[in-house]
Amino acid sequence: MSDDMITEGMLDMFIFETEQGLENLENICLDSKDTGEFDEDNVNEIFRIMHTIKGASAVMMYQNIATLSHKLEDVFYFIRENNPENVPHAELVDDVLEVSDFITNELEKIKDGQESDGDSTELINRLSVFLDKIQGNVQGETVVPVEERPLQETPHFYIAPVASEDSRFYSIFITYMKNLDMANIRAYMAVNSLKGIAEDILFTPADIITNPESSNVVLEFGFRIALQTTETPDRIMELVNSSAGIENIEINECTSEEFLEFCAEAEAPMSSAGEVLTAPVETPTILIDSQKPQAVKEETAKKEKAAEKENSQAEEAPAKKAPARRPAPKKGEAQSFISVNIKKMDLLMDLIGELVIAEATVLQNPDLKVPGLDLSNFQKSAAQLSKITSELQDAIMAMRMMPLKNTFQKMNRIVYDTSKKLGKDIELEVIGEDTEVDKNIIEHISDPLMHLIRNSVDHGIESNEERVEAGKTEKGRIVLEAKNEGGQVWISVSDNGHGLNRESIIAKAKTNGLLGNRSEKDLTDKEVFNFITLPGFSTKKQVTEYSGRGVGMDVVVKNIQDVGGMLDIESVQGEGSTMTMKIPLTLAIIDGIIFSVADTNFVSPTNSVSEFIRLSSDKLIVEPDGEEYVMIREEYYPLIRLNKFYHLNGAVDNIEDGIVVVLTHEDKNLAIFADKLVGEQEIVVKPIPSYIKKVNGISGCTQLGDGSISLIIDAGALVRA
Amino acid sequence: MRILIAEDDFASRKFMLKFLSKFGECDVTVDGMEAVDAYLMALDAETPYDLVCLDIMMPAFDGYQALKAIRDIEQERKIPEEERAKIIMTTALNEGANVNKAFDLGCVAYAGKPIDQAKFESVLRKLELIP
Repeated sequence: MSDDMITEGMLDMFIFETEQGLENLENICLDSKDTGEFDEDNVNEIFRIMHTIKGASAVMMYQNIATLSHKLEDVFYFIRENNPENVPHAELVDDVLEVSDFITNELEKIKDGQESDGDSTELINRLSVFLDKIQGNVQGETVVPVEERPLQETPHFYIAPVASEDSRFYSIFITYMKNLDMANIRAYMAVNSLKGIAEDILFTPADIITNPESSNVVLEFGFRIALQTTETPDRIMELVNSSAGIENIEINECTSEEFLEFCAEAEAPMSSAGEVLTAPVETPTILIDSQKPQAVKEETAKKEKAAEKENSQAEEAPAKKAPARRPAPKKGEAQSFISVNIKKMDLLMDLIGELVIAEATVLQNPDLKVPGLDLSNFQKSAAQLSKITSELQDAIMAMRMMPLKNTFQKMNRIVYDTSKKLGKDIELEVIGEDTEVDKNIIEHISDPLMHLIRNSVDHGIESNEERVEAGKTEKGRIVLEAKNEGGQVWISVSDNGHGLNRESIIAKAKTNGLLGNRSEKDLTDKEVFNFITLPGFSTKKQVTEYSGRGVGMDVVVKNIQDVGGMLDIESVQGEGSTMTMKIPLTLAIIDGIIFSVADTNFVSPTNSVSEFIRLSSDKLIVEPDGEEYVMIREEYYPLIRLNKFYHLNGAVDNIEDGIVVVLTHEDKNLAIFADKLVGEQEIVVKPIPSYIKKVNGISGCTQLGDGSISLIIDAGALVRA
Repeated sequence: MRILIAEDDFASRKFMLKFLSKFGECDVTVDGMEAVDAYLMALDAETPYDLVCLDIMMPAFDGYQALKAIRDIEQERKIPEEERAKIIMTTALNEGANVNKAFDLGCVAYAGKPIDQAKFESVLRKLELIP
């Protein structure tokens, strides 16, 4: 979902609360799958959730959602009051989940700014039938029937505005030159010029036209405008600044609350509406304000200033209610959360990236290299600075980290749905759902993970009969596990199904002509299994609703590679298979080793560099076709000379004069030849600008301490090259 | 049906007038204070308004104050619940807190600007102001 679609308070809140409720609902349903019934707490909770959703959606005028949740509430009302036995639990859970799906679907529409137009009648009818059935099941006189409770209209309605550009609130403070005549007229001109763009505008003093005295007030205390508009501050400035005699203009964006406060301030002496009404209203109340004794006025002016300061500070911290899918604190937890717009976090992240670069430019400044300079104090401060910037980085990283819990919970539902449709009995075990990953990465792995899970349910686990024949437990088992592993997160999906069949994969690969001139015996299991990640490769004979079309695994791999990760496949025939996604914890700032070739600097992520070595020329083997290999400790590594690869002139040619850097990627090694090592540094990964066409082997660029640009080597791409 | 519109912005006022004229006889005021005055006059003339639409950000009296004033007057004059004017706030201040504040003060609906005419009409229907 996009973050900027919704900026509208009421809708935001409705969507957020409803989503939260539905999530709870699903969890209750899935948890109760094993016990086979809802206990009293569950029933009460579901009743409460449906009641809340019903109320909220009625206020928001989503009739279809309101009537549907009303009906489900009825069902649970009956269950709560009568505690009937023989409730077909599976059926009930299905119905509840379908209601939840329906509402989720409608919410998506609302989020996209569409009408919520889904028809819930069919579902409602089904629920009615269900309700009749369980009512019929209950015997005896103690039955509390569900009274006809027509859906009551709420006392309130909220009419959501038609989607429009987001308007913002500004407070504008203008001061005029002290010797200016008719400042009130100038002020009015400013207001007048803003009227064209204003959706709403208020100003104080308000009587600038009718009261000539207000000119002095404007001169003395300045002129304040509260403006609601969709225009930018620059445009406002342009409009306001058109009249002469202006000394200073301040434009601050403010929240709607502050806007209202401003309005209230403007009408400060109005203590209660009732009182004013009974008093004869002859002089505008604003006038009373401007005629207050000087001292009082000054004090209020000061207060206003102070309040303004506070406001502008407060503005930055509490941020908008971002529709971030931050898990809300559960009841009873003492932690408090604020939700922050993800854009602000990204901005902070970028700024810290820039800070890291700036730090490097200062600490490695060429000016410091003057011989004989005493830098001991500088070095001390520099060390302190480095410590703080790296802590700052850790902090922002930690802030962006979110547990995988939500993503994993969705998988629960997928296993439930898919296995049910396929008639398989499968349990899902989740390990390490508290493992935290960068939010950006979570968004990227949700789809691939879903695909892997579906694959496991559909292809991995055999049908119940086959399992019994093979002497396995009838119930299949999928384990979803996440763990931290040296700067990476490993998320694995293992099943205890029949595993991958090496022969049938090879057979299929042959017909697709993927083997080339290699014989099948040369292929390791890993290489064979990797065939299934190629486009259009499926050994499944029948295409099912969920998988088998041969699109998918290649998409999975591509998604994972997009975030710099890789997919590892292990499988033992007859025992099951494990797919592991290995994904970097974060994308933006990494440790890198810098080396230079001719005048160009290259950086490689430290974790893909396995060693540097200086070799004698007898370790270099040149094949007749020009390909070069180096032998390190009796092992051969293909050698890439970066100067040849990128056509750089003036680089070192003799293997003994340069240095060999060994890179490792996915168990493959590669040696690259560079002129010299420069050092290690934290680097901020920036994408290569779009006006440069894709360069093979380069995944991004970064700025080094001396201000020069360095290219980031993508070991994976070079290995494949 | 008698309708009172309080709206300080000319364009919005014109829009509201045009939109609501098809449902009944509309009076327009430009600020909250005038709205309360008009409301009192109508009450005294025993032709009270059935529907009052209040903008929130207005000079002199803002929408909240006007809303509160009208409800206070009704309270004071012991006008029975069902005869009280239905009040709809029309504003671009859509933060939840503002909406709830308005509900607490006794408005019956809260319409975000720009106004969704279809929904507005359906609310009028639910309030039984129009058939």
